[in-house]
Amino acid sequence: MFVRNRQSLFFTLFMPLMIMVIFGFVGLDKTPKISLGIVVDQPTAATQQFINDLKKFEAFDVTQGSENAERVALKKGERVAVIIMPSDFFPNPADLVISPPPAGGKNTAPLQPSYSKLKPKTLVMLENVAQQQFAKTAESIIRQMLDKTTLGIVQAPTFFEVQAENVSVKSTKYIDFLVPGILGMALMQMAVFSVAFVFADYKEKGILKRLLATPMKPQQFVTAQVITRLIVALAQSAILLAVGVWLLHTHVYGSLWLVALIAIVGSVMFLGLGFTISGLANTVDSVPAIANLIVFPMLFLGGTFFPISGMPQIMQSIVTYLPLQYLTHSLREVMANGAGLNAIAHDIYWMLGWAVIMVTLAMFTFRFEERRV
Amino acid sequence: MPDIIEVKNLTKTYGDFTAVDGISFTVKMGETFGILGPNGAGKTTTLEMMEGLKPVSSGTIVFDGLDVQKRTRDVKQRIGVQLQASSFFDGLSLKELVDTFASLYGRKVKALDLLRRVQLDEKAKSKVKELSGGQKQRLSIAVALVNDPKAMYLDEPTTGLDPQARRNLWDLITDIKRQGKTIILTTHYMEEAEVLCDRIAIMDHAKIIVLGTPQELLKLADVGSTVEFHVDRHPPQGVMDHLPGVERAEREDHGYKLLTGDPEKTLPALFEYEVTHGFKIFDLQLHQATLEDVFLKLTGRSLRE
Repeated sequence: MFVRNRQSLFFTLFMPLMIMVIFGFVGLDKTPKISLGIVVDQPTAATQQFINDLKKFEAFDVTQGSENAERVALKKGERVAVIIMPSDFFPNPADLVISPPPAGGKNTAPLQPSYSKLKPKTLVMLENVAQQQFAKTAESIIRQMLDKTTLGIVQAPTFFEVQAENVSVKSTKYIDFLVPGILGMALMQMAVFSVAFVFADYKEKGILKRLLATPMKPQQFVTAQVITRLIVALAQSAILLAVGVWLLHTHVYGSLWLVALIAIVGSVMFLGLGFTISGLANTVDSVPAIANLIVFPMLFLGGTFFPISGMPQIMQSIVTYLPLQYLTHSLREVMANGAGLNAIAHDIYWMLGWAVIMVTLAMFTFRFEERRV
Repeated sequence: MPDIIEVKNLTKTYGDFTAVDGISFTVKMGETFGILGPNGAGKTTTLEMMEGLKPVSSGTIVFDGLDVQKRTRDVKQRIGVQLQASSFFDGLSLKELVDTFASLYGRKVKALDLLRRVQLDEKAKSKVKELSGGQKQRLSIAVALVNDPKAMYLDEPTTGLDPQARRNLWDLITDIKRQGKTIILTTHYMEEAEVLCDRIAIMDHAKIIVLGTPQELLKLADVGSTVEFHVDRHPPQGVMDHLPGVERAEREDHGYKLLTGDPEKTLPALFEYEVTHGFKIFDLQLHQATLEDVFLKLTGRSLRE
């Protein structure tokens, strides 16, 4: 019956999938490229080589053009900086050899260019004030490249060396943050809405009353409904994770069993909330009002789309206690950081605590029959 | 016939409001028993207490030797229930619905046979929302039959149906009755009670004001038939009062309204008067007394006020 209800399928699967794919592809973790303009007339081979090196930089998006065009582009804000180079900014290597040593000198000595005869060359960099940070980054990269070239030319020994080592760290891309958040959101939506809507509807239409007229025990019916939804929660998690891993290349470092455990505990907590809401709602129409009042703030404050560490301190200390926060936090710990059971025990305890509160509330508010005054 | 249901001093109160006020009656095995009354009289509350759906404030209900309050589930196992305007799961087909409900009674049924009985076999694969009002009611009767109940409780089965669908449902109920099932139904249609019921309890303001067979009720209330007609000119004063059987004659602007206990005698005499007194009758109408009149007489109010 659950699968035949298109609305619940939408909220359970398609909406989270859509959000995940959209956010995943928009790629909030990609920093924009620094757009550089280069103005140079008939570059020498060495100058062209320098430009090509620049183009190889992933951080740069290099455009070559006339000075006028590039200045206009800069004014329009399309460039972070424009570099104006003289064509012989880098002299051809041959030109560096100024002259053979005077005759009669030591023949064994290598050819020594006479640096003093090289005048320093100037490169003009026009920087976009509005994007000063990027412009300064570009400037310092270019300075470094030039320093290196200078060192190369003068063949000065290198005194200081920075040794960069690639350490394979766990990816901390936004998508790895996002997918656990979306999963938490999806579990919450499914548990709250599928119960709140369906049961308010059953109640309003008198279906629950009709069931009460049979020898069926109400708790059996509720149990069956809860079990169905827990199975749906697991299936939902599996599908979302599969799409996340295959399509968006997210990572699951921790145990999938742990993810399943968290999904179940989280679902129980939110199923309790769903029953409470359907108990509070007198009609189906009032369900979305009550549910959204609770669910939406939690969606944005519970660490679904962005970390709560970005919030003001006071707010953080409040939103930490939100049920969704424990769910997304533990999922994220397991999926993105490979946390074990011990590391998320705190979250699990809190979720169990919330589950007890929600289920108790549900027992007080949810009735099979419509209340009569 | 032995009694299958015994209701004694049944009362239901909600705070200060008394919905059912100490009513007592018995229903015989195989009988069709009607509870008739206006909206808010307490019919549905009475029925739901008998079905074990609502707790009783005081009094007892015994079904087939079982105390409904103590052995509620055993009673539910033995009865078939159609609730007022009840609906069913949207996602399931009729056949699946019948099977689902049968499983709630721990039974297996031939869903198609059951649907055929209520002429819905062609719709077995449809969903509930594709059914008309009459078809929905027939479905809910089919569902009420899944456990082959001893007694069926029908709460206003024909309310909101068009006349044709109503007659169709009456045929179905009559058919079920012929199979020996006890039927308890509530209605606010007098005609329905007269057509279907062996005995009728008329409820008003939480109490049963009268109980008996339709004939007994009509007699009890002592209401006869009404003859209404227009005349081209009025005969002398008092002539109509002397017609045989006439209890009261009311002179109206263009005719008369005669209340008679014996229309078979009154009418021929009236036609004779037409000749002897030299007036002409047109637009003649004869109203048989109905339970509607009984209710009006007993309560001073019309049923659907």
